[in-house]
Amino acid sequence: MSRPLLLAAALVFVLLGLAPIGAMALRVEPGDFAGLLGARTLGLLGRTLLLGAGSCGLAVLLGAPFGFLVARTDVPGAALLRPLGLVPLVLPPLFLAITWTVLSDLRGAPMAIVLMSLGTFPIVAFFTALAAERVDARREEAALLAGGWRAALRVELPLLLPAVLCGACLAFVFAINDFAVPDYVSSVGPKFNVYADEVFANWKLDQHTGRAVVTSLPLVLLTLVVLLPALALRRRGTLATLEGDFLRPAPLRLGRLRWAALAYCLLLVGAAALVPLGRLVYDCGGGAQGWSGARAHAAFARALELSRGDLANSLLCASAAGLVAVPVALVLGHAAERLRLGRWLELVYVLPIAVPAILFGIGEIALWNHDATARLYDGNGLVILLFVGRFLPFPLLLLSGAVATLGPRLEEAAQLAGAGPARRLARIVAPALLPSLLGAWALVFVLSMRELDAAILVPAANHTVIFRVFNQIHFGRDDFVAALALLVVFFLLLPGLAWSLYGKRRVEVLP
Amino acid sequence: MLPFRRLIPVLALAALACGCADEPDLVVYCALDQVDSERILKDFEAATGLKVRAEFDAEAHKTVGLVRRIREEQARPRCDVFWNNEFAHTVSLADDGLLASYDAPNAASIPETFRDPERRWTGFAARARVFIVNTEKADPAAVHGMWDLLDPKWKGQVCMARPLTGTTLTHAAALYVALGDDKANEYFQRVKAASDAGELQLMPGNGQVMRQVKDGALAWGWTDTDDYNRALQGGAPVAMVFPDRGEGELGTLFIPNTVAILKDAPHPEAARKLVDYLLSLEVERKLASFDGAQIPLHAELKDEPHQLPIADMRPMVVDYAAVGAQIDARFEALKELFLD
Repeated sequence: MSRPLLLAAALVFVLLGLAPIGAMALRVEPGDFAGLLGARTLGLLGRTLLLGAGSCGLAVLLGAPFGFLVARTDVPGAALLRPLGLVPLVLPPLFLAITWTVLSDLRGAPMAIVLMSLGTFPIVAFFTALAAERVDARREEAALLAGGWRAALRVELPLLLPAVLCGACLAFVFAINDFAVPDYVSSVGPKFNVYADEVFANWKLDQHTGRAVVTSLPLVLLTLVVLLPALALRRRGTLATLEGDFLRPAPLRLGRLRWAALAYCLLLVGAAALVPLGRLVYDCGGGAQGWSGARAHAAFARALELSRGDLANSLLCASAAGLVAVPVALVLGHAAERLRLGRWLELVYVLPIAVPAILFGIGEIALWNHDATARLYDGNGLVILLFVGRFLPFPLLLLSGAVATLGPRLEEAAQLAGAGPARRLARIVAPALLPSLLGAWALVFVLSMRELDAAILVPAANHTVIFRVFNQIHFGRDDFVAALALLVVFFLLLPGLAWSLYGKRRVEVLP
Repeated sequence: MLPFRRLIPVLALAALACGCADEPDLVVYCALDQVDSERILKDFEAATGLKVRAEFDAEAHKTVGLVRRIREEQARPRCDVFWNNEFAHTVSLADDGLLASYDAPNAASIPETFRDPERRWTGFAARARVFIVNTEKADPAAVHGMWDLLDPKWKGQVCMARPLTGTTLTHAAALYVALGDDKANEYFQRVKAASDAGELQLMPGNGQVMRQVKDGALAWGWTDTDDYNRALQGGAPVAMVFPDRGEGELGTLFIPNTVAILKDAPHPEAARKLVDYLLSLEVERKLASFDGAQIPLHAELKDEPHQLPIADMRPMVVDYAAVGAQIDARFEALKELFLD
């Protein structure tokens, strides 16, 4: 590995990903820990655990079968269902809440758990899918011959389980850090306050930033406690089966059950993606007041007229964040995989996603609001830096996983032929990982387009399209909001759609 | 093709170069709804030729984002004018020495109640805290005041926002000042008990109160005049009740917008121009005519026709500075009660 390149990438990560956290940690004083875990906050933590456990449990029940069906069986339309299953990950969870609270009377904790699991089951599904299609065909055939389905299951379950659990851990992390959905679905009926509420509430107190930082600690620790096994399981799950002379397995024939499987997949994708999107289409055309194409057209025209600039800003910042993040992630991800003790680096890599978004946003102000960086602070530059710092862990983990799937032999051969470390990375590793690089860019792009909680504190992020969507939801201008939300969803899905139409290789979003 | 080593800094610099901002003539942090305030600020730009960079608060963050930023940026203020949609956090900023004094000539006919004696902030264009009633679910004449929310006859049919955010928090702090600690504590403890018993619904915000009532899920609830008027304009079967209008009763709380110039603002001259503009009769008239139906505070506009029947209102007499000074402490106490 080229030391200057590695140092440069590490510097970017430290500056953008860790320094905002460090800036906030410096504000903590010993007195800020007083009363951190009282009976009330412990109750909130308990409910957070319930939300996390319930959501990830249900996400496993929903996602693992879905992932296996679309990856390994002859369920009709698997090629379409598999990317459709990713759509709920792209949708902001509040869109799901707004739709399903209209269509269902379920409220409080059960509704929060159902909605968070609908939003996160794709993570479980796609980890499962990747692990399932990496079961060696010979191993599966031998098991089938020896003992039929039961034997095959006994052989495959241990291979799938780490991947499923890894997805479950990530679903848990997403669920415990969300408070908008629990808050929204307990508007009516029993309240379901969670610890993330307490974290956000303490930032409102004007004088006690140290205490607000300390309040975040239980959630940060809980996130790390669950993320770390996820990292280990990821290696044992999706990556474990790739060793040796791999032979891809044939699709399993479901017989008549394929139609039941199709119904299950459609039901799941429908509930998590098609119904919320359908609801937006319905609302943008007038909704309950009578749907018409003319109204939908007018709503889109108004959304574009008012939000063109915001949309352009979002696209620019999200695209640029992806462009900056991917090369840095490639260098660091490669180092994590190839260097001795490099895997321990992953423990540091996940820190930016373990801290609450609002803490990260305030850290950016502390770090960048100086005369020397004034123009950057006031412009889109800081938005890009924020997006890169906050979301760098995702491409980083993705690309370190992708490097793990790439044997070191080619790199060793290139080294023997005289190619330097940077050249090997550029000419050998990067081209081989092109689908993963595109997936990494798309991941940063999507997360950046959706980002609101940290961005609210960054000046130019006030002029992004997601900011305008959430500002308008309050006023009940349903047609305009729906049209704007659909535009956002369209642009979120655009990279994937474009690659599906024109790309020759599959984008690897999850290695 | 550029070598990989050079490509990274080139990409990074290109991305960041396109991210540097041009210097505006004026920076405004605005908590009033973007849809209305943007129109006013564009008119100001057209009238003065000044280039304004406006930054808004997301509804979900209820002023907190901007106030927090002003505090975090105090070492190098980036904001010139803070246009807040309520007063408590503005008073809190003034008390912490973050606002500059400016006695705007256009504010002369705004009652002193809505002006800081040291002229660090000025109130204008107010909302009021009112009951929104679904006329298909309840008779507006049967709804009278704040204690009706706890009346068993309305069990399961009423709502208010949880008093931890936005104007509901400000309102709660005002009730502590107006009623005294004991009475206000009793009121909010009973509200919490009613919520726990499912007799009163506590919503995340006033917008949800308006939606639940306009859709007929609940009969009535406490919200702001702008939310009520938007429901009415949308064709919902709703009516408005000004609470506690009787003799000796508390009356209706006015929540004015407040405008203030930041101490050490980068563009003080332009900031004064904007404050003068915002405090003009013309702007109050415009804000009154929008869907938000803000209530003018200028004495000259008192008798002009308004979208809402504001003549029926009995304003609550409250010390705005005292409410602002207590807002943090009240929030902390209410959080202990309501966030469990």
